[in-house]
Amino acid sequence: MATRFAPATPLSPAVFAILLSLAEGEQNGASGPGPWGGKHGYLIMKDARAPRGGGITLGPGTLYGSLERMMRDGLVEESSMSDDERRRYYRLTGLGHRVFATELERLDAAVSSARSLGLIPHGGRS
Amino acid sequence: MSQPALTNPRLPDARLERMYALALHLYPGNFRLAYASPMRQAFRDALADDAFSRRKLIPMVLKDLVQSLIREHSAMMRDTFARPTLVYNGLVLAVLATVLSLALYGIPQQVLRMGANDPQVQLSGDLAAQLEQGVSPADAMPPGHVDIAHSLAPFVIAYDQTGKPIASQGTLDGSIPTPPKGVFDYALQNGEDRPTWTPRHGVRLATVVRRVGGAHPGFVLAGRSLNEVQQRIQHVWDMAAVAWLFMLGLIFVGTTAFGWYTRPQATQMS
Repeated sequence: MATRFAPATPLSPAVFAILLSLAEGEQNGASGPGPWGGKHGYLIMKDARAPRGGGITLGPGTLYGSLERMMRDGLVEESSMSDDERRRYYRLTGLGHRVFATELERLDAAVSSARSLGLIPHGGRS
Repeated sequence: MSQPALTNPRLPDARLERMYALALHLYPGNFRLAYASPMRQAFRDALADDAFSRRKLIPMVLKDLVQSLIREHSAMMRDTFARPTLVYNGLVLAVLATVLSLALYGIPQQVLRMGANDPQVQLSGDLAAQLEQGVSPADAMPPGHVDIAHSLAPFVIAYDQTGKPIASQGTLDGSIPTPPKGVFDYALQNGEDRPTWTPRHGVRLATVVRRVGGAHPGFVLAGRSLNEVQQRIQHVWDMAAVAWLFMLGLIFVGTTAFGWYTRPQATQMS
């Protein structure tokens, strides 16, 4: 890890789902001109709830509590983009990217190990 | 990227949103100040999203409300009261209060216990002097009999060089008690010993044992029941314990109040 202040993995399901949602948004939105503006709270909740986002049910309280702690840890930041003063937009920081990549590597290694042991049936996802 | 549009809430939705807005007041002030508005907006978006049925949304939000309230209040308590400086100061004060309370108990306890020896010092000295001048042990005994188990009066006993009793003013359960041999050994080497002696359960004595030379060599023991002194010492212990608890309570209240008034303040984020 690049910084000693980075939170330890494994990440909580809520934090992982938020990082995944923001990373996905960045991938899809990075093709546009200028810096990506981020995602607002409800969109993150919606992404997390979808099967591809981890199937995590995030309520507003859990979402914003997690976002506050993630901002404190330097994983995400509030973007300056705003289409409504009541909406906040969030995006990944450099540290957030690195922590997310580390967690993905950890999960990937675990899944590969499970697959080599025959614990994941053929045709299973990933 | 498509983001849900802000729609005008229907009347039931508006009522639900108002109820949610009221519930947001249950969050800690700092958190509410920073996130009440976007949380309310997220709830409004969820209400407006047809993909989210009311039947699933309301229980989910209620569960989230309870869980996140507990989490955010715990975090607020941690941020407010578990700051290292605050905890360190509180612990230092608690240690000081404990040391002070131990001193409040220990000093009077020692004074009371040492004071309990005073008559015995004089009695044993007088008896030893008489024996060394040649007076027989039986004649040297002060008048009157003392029941060691029940009386608070001081008493004296004379022993020969082997530690065998030869004359006594007091008896315990009908016989003359003898202290452990080590007491005589210590008195033989040092001239005097002042032990607390428990000849049997429920009987504790403040004793002074002196070595005697002259015509009747041996030892004299002067003793006195510690019952009264022990009650006073217990009273001192009780008072010190109350003082300790009071000081700890005061430190807890003071530290808590200090932590509350110096808690980290959030500024509203726009």
